[in-house]
Amino acid sequence: MTPKSEEELAQMIAGANGPLRIKGGGTRPIGHCEGDVLNTSAMRGISLYEPGALTIVAGAGTPVAEVEKVLATENQRLAFEPMDHRALLGTEGAPSLGGLAAANVSGPRRISVGACRDFMLGVRFVDGQGNIIKNGGRVMKNVTGYDLVKLLTGSYGTLGVITEVSLKVLPDVETTGTLRLHGLSDHQAVTALSAALGSPFEATAAAHFPKGPSGDPVTMLRIEGFADSVKYRADRLRDLLKAYGEVEVAVGDGAEWGLVRDVTAFADQPGDVWRISAKPSEAPDLVARMDAKAVQYDWGGGLIWALTDKGRDLRAAMGAFDGHATLIRGAADVPTFQPEVPALAAITAGLRAKFDPRGILNPGITT
Amino acid sequence: MEMPTPDASVLSRKAQIVDRLSEVLPRDAVISDERETRAYECDALTAYKCPPLCAVLPANTKEVSDVLRVCHEMGVPVVPRGSGTSLAGGALPTADCVILGVAKMNDVIETNYDDRYIRVQSGRTNLSVTGAVETNGFFYAPDPSSQLACAIAGNIAMNSGGAHCLKYGVTTNNLMGVTMVLMDGTVVKIGGAHLDAGGLDILGVICGSEGQLGVVTEATLRILHKPENARPVLMGYDSSEVAGQVVTDIIKAGILPVAIEFMDRPCIEATEAFAKAGYPMCEALLIVEVEGSDAEIDAQLKLIMEIAARHNPVELREAKDADEAGRIWLGRKSAFGAMGQINDYMCLDGTIPVSSLPFVLKRIGEMSKEFGLDVGNVFHAGDGNMHPLILFDANKPGDLERCEAFGAEILKLCVEVGGCLTGEHGVGIEKRDLMNVQYDPADLEAQMAIKDIFDPAWLLNAAKVFPLETSQARRVA
Amino acid sequence: MQTTFTPEQLTDPAIQRSNEILRSCVHCGFCTATCPTYQVLGDELDSPRGRIYLIKDMLENERKPDARTVKHIDRCLSCLACMTTCPSGVHYMHLVDHARAYIEKNYDRPWSDRALRWVLARILPYPMRFRVALLGAKIGRPFARLMPDARLRAMLEMAPKTIPPVSRNDDPQTFPARDRKMRVALMTGCAQKALNTDINDATIRLLTRLGAEVVVAEGAGCCGALTHHMGKVDESHATAAKNIRAWAREMDGEGLDAIVINTSGCGTTVKDYGHMFRNDALAGDAARVSDIAMDVSEILMRLDLPEGEDKGTKVAYHAACSLQHGQQIKTYPKDLLRIAGFTVLEPADSHLCCGSAGTYNLMQPEISSQLKQRKVQTLEALTPDIISAGNIGCMMQIGGGTDVPIVHTVELLDWATGGPQPPALTAPGKQKPKIPILR
Repeated sequence: MTPKSEEELAQMIAGANGPLRIKGGGTRPIGHCEGDVLNTSAMRGISLYEPGALTIVAGAGTPVAEVEKVLATENQRLAFEPMDHRALLGTEGAPSLGGLAAANVSGPRRISVGACRDFMLGVRFVDGQGNIIKNGGRVMKNVTGYDLVKLLTGSYGTLGVITEVSLKVLPDVETTGTLRLHGLSDHQAVTALSAALGSPFEATAAAHFPKGPSGDPVTMLRIEGFADSVKYRADRLRDLLKAYGEVEVAVGDGAEWGLVRDVTAFADQPGDVWRISAKPSEAPDLVARMDAKAVQYDWGGGLIWALTDKGRDLRAAMGAFDGHATLIRGAADVPTFQPEVPALAAITAGLRAKFDPRGILNPGITT
Repeated sequence: MEMPTPDASVLSRKAQIVDRLSEVLPRDAVISDERETRAYECDALTAYKCPPLCAVLPANTKEVSDVLRVCHEMGVPVVPRGSGTSLAGGALPTADCVILGVAKMNDVIETNYDDRYIRVQSGRTNLSVTGAVETNGFFYAPDPSSQLACAIAGNIAMNSGGAHCLKYGVTTNNLMGVTMVLMDGTVVKIGGAHLDAGGLDILGVICGSEGQLGVVTEATLRILHKPENARPVLMGYDSSEVAGQVVTDIIKAGILPVAIEFMDRPCIEATEAFAKAGYPMCEALLIVEVEGSDAEIDAQLKLIMEIAARHNPVELREAKDADEAGRIWLGRKSAFGAMGQINDYMCLDGTIPVSSLPFVLKRIGEMSKEFGLDVGNVFHAGDGNMHPLILFDANKPGDLERCEAFGAEILKLCVEVGGCLTGEHGVGIEKRDLMNVQYDPADLEAQMAIKDIFDPAWLLNAAKVFPLETSQARRVA
Repeated sequence: MQTTFTPEQLTDPAIQRSNEILRSCVHCGFCTATCPTYQVLGDELDSPRGRIYLIKDMLENERKPDARTVKHIDRCLSCLACMTTCPSGVHYMHLVDHARAYIEKNYDRPWSDRALRWVLARILPYPMRFRVALLGAKIGRPFARLMPDARLRAMLEMAPKTIPPVSRNDDPQTFPARDRKMRVALMTGCAQKALNTDINDATIRLLTRLGAEVVVAEGAGCCGALTHHMGKVDESHATAAKNIRAWAREMDGEGLDAIVINTSGCGTTVKDYGHMFRNDALAGDAARVSDIAMDVSEILMRLDLPEGEDKGTKVAYHAACSLQHGQQIKTYPKDLLRIAGFTVLEPADSHLCCGSAGTYNLMQPEISSQLKQRKVQTLEALTPDIISAGNIGCMMQIGGGTDVPIVHTVELLDWATGGPQPPALTAPGKQKPKIPILR
């Protein structure tokens, strides 16, 4: 089913008599989903773009690539740097804007500017009963009523099918600088990255690879901005981190960060992939408990990508911790998303029941 | 302003209710004498007052939980209150409600500079969160103008912003976790020292829910290192269109100032009389502030001044030292106090797309003549949040009503041009009846459905946000 | 805010003034942020905004004050931090003074309250009587724990360990200056000179050294602050009138360039004489006196304090409320100490009262002691060598909670410019030098 408009979508959902699997570009499958495919790709097109107001509004079926191309013509970008899952998950297709929102897809720059949900200004969606609902708008400051924009972002289609998205955009940058440190242990790396992120020199990404391209640990920081500013901040950070060893600085287009963003290192590796959100200072200890085949740290330690043997219950290995673990790739017999404490699970179940009483929108995605 | 009829059965049981509450709180934490409950009859929106049944001041999460449990069992409505600085009537009581004030809970629980967060009790004031970390060079970014006095609890309820939110975001972008008590006394912990929600973004919907989903008792907040330096520039222009164009050009040049403030002539004149900051007398004034090292600031300001100069400014002024910087900001910071010296005023909070500013200002000027009330405009030009200040005389019969009617028209205009009713202050009671201008019944139904989950009995601050007719069925049930 | 006074009510000048003040309040709540009692109690009723509300209700409705309203007004320290914070310029001090006078006149206080307040009003402003009381307290101190009333306990515990003998320097006389540049009157005060004679001695030495001829006027005494803050307006006006007449006599005689006050709590009241006496026959002289009243730090800024070498001594400067909020003098004492070569440090939350507030530490011991603890903690966190303050009340309050020596700012400035080391800094056990006669 490929509705061409919001009204058509509403009718399809209202008239559905079984589970629906919502598909944007189909590049980020997760969990177990059955049902008729409901394709959003026809609800596309940029309806508003005001560079001077840093705002873009587009249909959920609009390819992300199209949006990024249009933004680039005005020297702007989606600052939250959404990950492209295709390599990691081995999928094909064109990622859609609605998918970005539904999965709250972000990248390394999340640590500095925020996640997709922090850039969402407004949303239109159709709930599980076929009601057309809007929330937010197209202005940055909006506290009129409850913030359903945040609730729908990252809801993986279980509360409604997003039809239109308003996003805040930011100017693109003139220059990118990458700082690299070599040979640090995980603990040292997180400490170094924390020092950098806790300084006034505004790193826009902070990652660590216990096994870098050469097999040795490499720790990376990114600085972006006008050329002089990048040079200045790189120098100051190099100074700040000299206790950790020599700091290499490379100025260029920052393409290497695409590999960090897309977890390319795990793309062709067999095994399950987990995404863990953690308290940075606890991350190395979590990794030690994981016994994973490989890990990659991002967000200064606040995000861990782990490649594990197939079928492992990583949560059992880690025990309870401040954060959550999501199974991104694999068919392990564990809940895809971190089970919630009873009080929160009740709220989640209640919200899903309200928006989708028949339980037809992406059921099974959370099992 | 219509408020729900107080529940007669609650009013008649006042003594038992006070007794039950006194069992779970120390004696001086329960305020029930009529002479004392009057102090809780309103917040900073003084046009509407209603003394509550009683007020309680719990000192920790357990006491909050006990209070809510008791009220839930007895069917007593509750209205949470932070510092009572809301301009939207967020803490306005009903005669049958218990005001639950969190001001006693103002401790810092934990600071962590490595992981860059601070955990505080929700009654702590916004500025004193920064106060707790500033000797280490850190700060908490959202800075509403009332930050000296407003509580984090209120910031979370209203998703407060501030002049610096252009760069750093508003409360919801800086909130990492909460401990919240539901209306039945259940304590839930959401989020923590990690980023992103593990499932639905429940934290995201709690922020901005105006105290209707639960009472937040603790919050984990993101802290950042202070920038090396900041410097403002002042620009005067002969028209608001030109000033608006300057803002657009600055943003399109790829510069992201940390704050852009706009003031129109009536505000400038009132402020000069009161604060004598040395502002030029012109139609539109902009204050643009940038951050970074001195060299970075110089580079950004060079670009900004070039852009500013292209548009025939009446005056361009760069701060050469901290004193001059203080003077540039002095007027803007005294603007509300200055307007208050002239007359009573009503401060609106509508947001518009930045590009619509000249049109909206023109229309406001026209409406000012129609309604016969003066207006001054202060505007967060970077994000479109307007603060029209409508002057009226509280002691003149009919003035308040005229002022409200004027305000409603301005807010409708904001929605018409693609903006919204409120950018920072929240709906409270003030804009309740305008919710239908911005949202359809289905939109409001979806929001109310969320409250159904958190507070099925609709006891928690139920008279706010939604027009009374719209929430009637749920409140009365 | 909207007020509802009737035209008849507004014919009373005090009501008219309070109506103006009430109308200027917009109920924004900023004042709650800096109110010490709100910090401690978290109750709107114990914040300036709540007190303004209670006062408004009481005055508009001509209510007989009730125990609850009085409790909240009594808890006000009159630190005036709210006035510094208020963006609308509400004159809270005048409003609460009016309320206190109204309460004193119309409220039937419980017997023990009345007795205590009567005793304080009859003793504190009179140095001779106060010295006798201090002696009694010193003797009774070991029995403090037996006292049934917390306030009596507080009084006994507050008595200083040593009581200085009467200083003849406080008698009416003139102290000549070398190279006279100006002529000033020094208010010698009441309670201060019974507790500590070093402050006036240091003031006289310093001022005369820098070129100010200092006269202690005949007939001047207590400024009236203590009784004024109890609402006992007749008594406060009586003692204030004596001062006004004494200083007016000097102004009309040999002339005065300033009236110098080294107890900031008193300075705030003397500067308010013009307002207090605005409807009185003495209005003219009262205004003249207020016009030239100055804190000692203000007059020192006009004299040339010689620059001193860096002494490597850390001085934690405690900003007395009456000085920073009441008189809005925030930088002079620190500037002067820095000129003299001291390293000046400021504690966190320096805007918050230490809890002394006149007789507050005697009347509201629980709140006062909480504030004292907080203040001592922030001062000790600086690991200072010395704490300096511009008000005897603060010195007594903080001194009772820390081992760090606490002295008046002028004592340090006197020491730095040739005077003796302040006795409070001498090691314990060493004998205090006899009080020198300065003239």
